[in-house]
Amino acid sequence: MTALRTSTAPNTSGVPRKRRSRGVRKSLIAWIFLAPFAIVFLTYTAIPALAAIGFSFTDLQGRDLRNPFNVNFVAIDNYVRLFADARFIRDIGNTLLFVVVGVPLTMALGFALAVALNSGIRRLRGVFRTIFFAPVVTNIVAIALIWQYAFNNDGTINNVLANFGLAGPNWLDDTNTAMPVVILLGIWRNFGTAMLLFLAGLQAVPEDVQEAAALDGAGWWSRLWHITLPLLLPTILLISVLLTVFYLQVFDEPYLLTDGGPLGSTESMALYTYTQFGFGNYGISSAASVVTLVLVAVVSVVQFRLLRPRT
Amino acid sequence: MPALTHSRPVRLAAGFAMVATAALVLSGCGRVDNADSAAATAAIDDKPATGTVSLWAPDGDANALDDTMAAFKADNPDLDLEVTLIPESEYNTKLQAAIASGTGPDIAQTYTEAQAGFIKGDAFAAVPDGLVDEDSFFPGSWAAGEIDGTAYTVPWYAYTYTLVYRKDIAEAAGLSAPTTWDEMIPFEKGLMAAGATKGLGASVGWDSYNGQDLTQLVWQAGGELINDDETEWTLDTPEMIEAIEYNASYFTSGVADVSGPGFLDSQPYFVTGKTASSITGPWVIGQFDAVAEQDGWTAENVGTATVPAGSAGSIGAIAGGSLGVLADSDNQESAWKVIRYLAESDTQIAQYESYGSLPAVQSSWEDPAIADQPLLDAFFDQLQDTRSYPQRTTWLQIATQMGAEMESVAKGQETAEEAAANLQSFADGVGTGE
Repeated sequence: MTALRTSTAPNTSGVPRKRRSRGVRKSLIAWIFLAPFAIVFLTYTAIPALAAIGFSFTDLQGRDLRNPFNVNFVAIDNYVRLFADARFIRDIGNTLLFVVVGVPLTMALGFALAVALNSGIRRLRGVFRTIFFAPVVTNIVAIALIWQYAFNNDGTINNVLANFGLAGPNWLDDTNTAMPVVILLGIWRNFGTAMLLFLAGLQAVPEDVQEAAALDGAGWWSRLWHITLPLLLPTILLISVLLTVFYLQVFDEPYLLTDGGPLGSTESMALYTYTQFGFGNYGISSAASVVTLVLVAVVSVVQFRLLRPRT
Repeated sequence: MPALTHSRPVRLAAGFAMVATAALVLSGCGRVDNADSAAATAAIDDKPATGTVSLWAPDGDANALDDTMAAFKADNPDLDLEVTLIPESEYNTKLQAAIASGTGPDIAQTYTEAQAGFIKGDAFAAVPDGLVDEDSFFPGSWAAGEIDGTAYTVPWYAYTYTLVYRKDIAEAAGLSAPTTWDEMIPFEKGLMAAGATKGLGASVGWDSYNGQDLTQLVWQAGGELINDDETEWTLDTPEMIEAIEYNASYFTSGVADVSGPGFLDSQPYFVTGKTASSITGPWVIGQFDAVAEQDGWTAENVGTATVPAGSAGSIGAIAGGSLGVLADSDNQESAWKVIRYLAESDTQIAQYESYGSLPAVQSSWEDPAIADQPLLDAFFDQLQDTRSYPQRTTWLQIATQMGAEMESVAKGQETAEEAAANLQSFADGVGTGE
């Protein structure tokens, strides 16, 4: 019987049975190690995200909380309403402004500090690195509260300006200055991450290439432009994508600093989504988050195409 | 790197979305009204409460529950009352999420003025017959928890807004508190002439709280926000325009500043005379002494008065906290006993003494702890003439838009007529909900 079974199941794969079973075992172990992350990711990210896509085609509201499938299918009505809502269109503009101004400035500041730490400042490098990274790990609520006091009409900034005989604006209640302050908070909160990643990238640039170029007469700017930056392109791509994705979903800064005001000038797409959620309009809120997702995907693809290193 | 549009996760997401949508389409997709929670449950007996009862409340008045509930816990030793305090700004969202996932508490506090979104669904159980005497509460407080004649929440504490002003500055200028809209701006200008930098500390607009302020002005002008059968918002009306213009006149007349004070600065501004009046809630009465760093400062320098009357009178809005039992609770009997205890007059007084929460039960106001405080008289008077905001699920959206329009008018971006027309157009799009 045993012999018959063996003869009817020949090893046709060309891979020795022992090696194959070892491969299966390895794969199983890998899946066991992956399982905790996979479960958390599926539960808290993938499934809710996919559910949101589904909900965006329904009229799910606060009253349906206990029966989320007891709702009406509304096709693309939520998307039509979104793009007919002047407030949402304005918020897309606000968000893109945050990205277009915030990403380059955050990267420029992070890069400048990384270069300084990598070349000029050698002593106390660890101390400076810690100081520059501190805003990243500090509680944003506490930071925003301090910034509110600083930028209030009679806050620290205007008191300092008054010492020089200057009358500062009401930073957070002026449509011309509120968004710059919100962007500034975003930059202040994120330049540390950019700096750290740039520093890692700079330290991976081969010293001998730099030395060879120097021997050939290339100056500091020339080496930066022709050697350092091209070699840093993967790092630049990584940081720009990370920051863009983060800034496209900007929420904390406008929510805590201005609550989207004045006159809606700092309200972001994420804040709009949150507000609609608060109203119990889960269908519209889901549609707004899907629009954000699509925007993030499109912008990321464009960045990959523009910035990926040419081989 | 492969292009994102060809990646497997995206195809998977698209597939799942199609499946989810198809499931919704095929699963009968259509809302069925649930009416089971409308029937009031049987009367609650007087036996001790037992088992575990979880209570969720926003951080604030519920901080005093340990003190307030001490005697009840002693009399009900088999009860395990678990109080969870949640930051106010996150409270509604967390409660919504918990209800959605079926992990809500037995008892939840709602804000009296904004509870329609919760009690219009079937998340809350109806208040059992005879649990409390509805006539013992301020009428507006009880009415705010009723839907189609069925009560879903019991008032816990109540407040409304009054005019709080610097009595010392007013007396120095020979002014008495304004009683009508027409007297308001001259009163504020008089305060400024007597030394205040600005007469009124007012918020220029933009959120739902400002929309609620505007609502009171509309009532005072004799208007209504919604028609009798609550099927249509009535916002583009002469009364709305009058109310928006009156609100904007605070700023255009120069008695209030469009830039604040902000919420955090309002009390320091008042104490230092940068502003000399405000239309605000009763909590400030207990806080001015600390801001002024002087005991007795409030009694000496502060006055209160009911809000100035428009052509229809001095009408305020009811606000506060109410308590309800979730329909999912598996210990409703004990949960209602907790609420019944919190609505007793003595408990209400204890809550006031512990945290300053003004009682929703009218008889509690006769206790010397409250009756001997003249600054609270105006709040009691105003509470007799309050109304509740429209109990519609879309009300919060309407109020938020009202706040935004108020800001636009006060900052000269549009006229009151345009604002009222915009509001009506917005409200027509949103609908009245349920």
